Amino acid sequence: MRVNIQMLISHGRVARKMGLGPESRINMLRNILTGLVRHERIETTRGRADEVRFYAEKLIDYAKKGDTDEKAMKMANFWLTEKDLIPKLFKVLAPRFETQPKAYTRMARIPNRENLDKAAMAVLEYKGNPFPPLQTAKRDNELTLINQLLKGYREQRAQQAAAKVEA
Amino acid sequence: MAASTRKLDKVMFSIKLLRNIQQQNERFLSTSMRRLAEGSDGGKPTKFTPPPKPVIIDKTQSEASLRKFLSPEFIPPRQRINPLKFAIERKDMIQRRKVLNIPEFYVGSVLAVTMADPHASGKTNRFMGICIQRGGHGLGATFVLRNIIDGQGVEICYEMYSPRLQQLEVLKLEKRLDNNLMYLRDALPEYSTVNLDMKPVPHSVTGDVPVNKTRVRMRPKPWSKRWERPKYNVQGIRFDLCLSPEKLEHAQKWAEPWREYDMLKEYDTTALEERFLKEVQTEMSKSTSP
Repeated sequence: MRVNIQMLISHGRVARKMGLGPESRINMLRNILTGLVRHERIETTRGRADEVRFYAEKLIDYAKKGDTDEKAMKMANFWLTEKDLIPKLFKVLAPRFETQPKAYTRMARIPNRENLDKAAMAVLEYKGNPFPPLQTAKRDNELTLINQLLKGYREQRAQQAAAKVEA
Repeated sequence: MAASTRKLDKVMFSIKLLRNIQQQNERFLSTSMRRLAEGSDGGKPTKFTPPPKPVIIDKTQSEASLRKFLSPEFIPPRQRINPLKFAIERKDMIQRRKVLNIPEFYVGSVLAVTMADPHASGKTNRFMGICIQRGGHGLGATFVLRNIIDGQGVEICYEMYSPRLQQLEVLKLEKRLDNNLMYLRDALPEYSTVNLDMKPVPHSVTGDVPVNKTRVRMRPKPWSKRWERPKYNVQGIRFDLCLSPEKLEHAQKWAEPWREYDMLKEYDTTALEERFLKEVQTEMSKSTSP
């Protein structure tokens, strides 16, 4: 086979190869998407999470059209293999994201899997889920020199303000 | 009889003379009266007002289509290219369209194209045929015309915005069941022949384009492509006459039913189409005003 740079360039192809072929890829994505809609936060490999992200957001866009829309119902019926999730999609997830135009999902990376394959893992979740947040807001270390000086400055300013108020 | 006619002639002649003299006098009088009147106004000479130009209604040239039709090459494919490139290209396309009238046509319509040819006597050559494919985007848009001349099938691929094209006439405007008629290569020759002396068929400027629902009979297999496979989505072939039901079923193995649900493959062009249609219409109407 002629090994060349063309092999490294995707030439506009945006779909990853997954599983045994295009049908297998769609089936895998369907399963992961169904799990995401059921649990609202799932843990998979990074590649799969990235692929599912697009489909998850497009599914919400279709769900926003309402369950009376034929095409939306067909899409939901195809993508959700567990049929008890179709009402959940239309009645819980779609109203949740009514105000937001675009970003409905969040992906966070996780340390590699403990198995032999050491696969790179990620967590994919729909925003507004009932679980505690994945990433807490990082606060700077208070014990660094600059932060201590700033803390002192802030306290000084507060004392001066209090003195002015009394006088 | 002859004598009476001669006398009549003399009488008529004298009457005509009198009438002429009278008219001349009247004219003389009338001009003098007008002149006197003008002179009385301000002493300026009469201004020569040319007679109004006759309005020529050219019915041979078909009117511009009033249908909302945007040529498919204006719609860019999904790419990561800066949209500025497409905007500039559109400007160039509109500028070319102001010079050469590219009419509305679809795959399945019969066109006649005159192209500049340095080696032909008269420096132009004319070809007509059925449009079987419209490809390309932007300035590189092409269309393929097919015809059978002296028993030989001929297909010519023309670039719509080439400066060599001098005239594009639509002899018959119609659509077919498919967007791509490449299967005519494997169909019986009667479906691809277009009479070279064909006269333009008048078509309405408003309303829907007529759809020709002919389903074509094919030559025996092998064909250039396996047209029975669902990926080509051919509606215009009579498969029941050339393939057995088992073969048709076997072809459905390549069906890929998940394709219609794959959101990644969707490309919604309605917003783009509206925007470009408005732009093209405003730019084209600007050209006719000055």
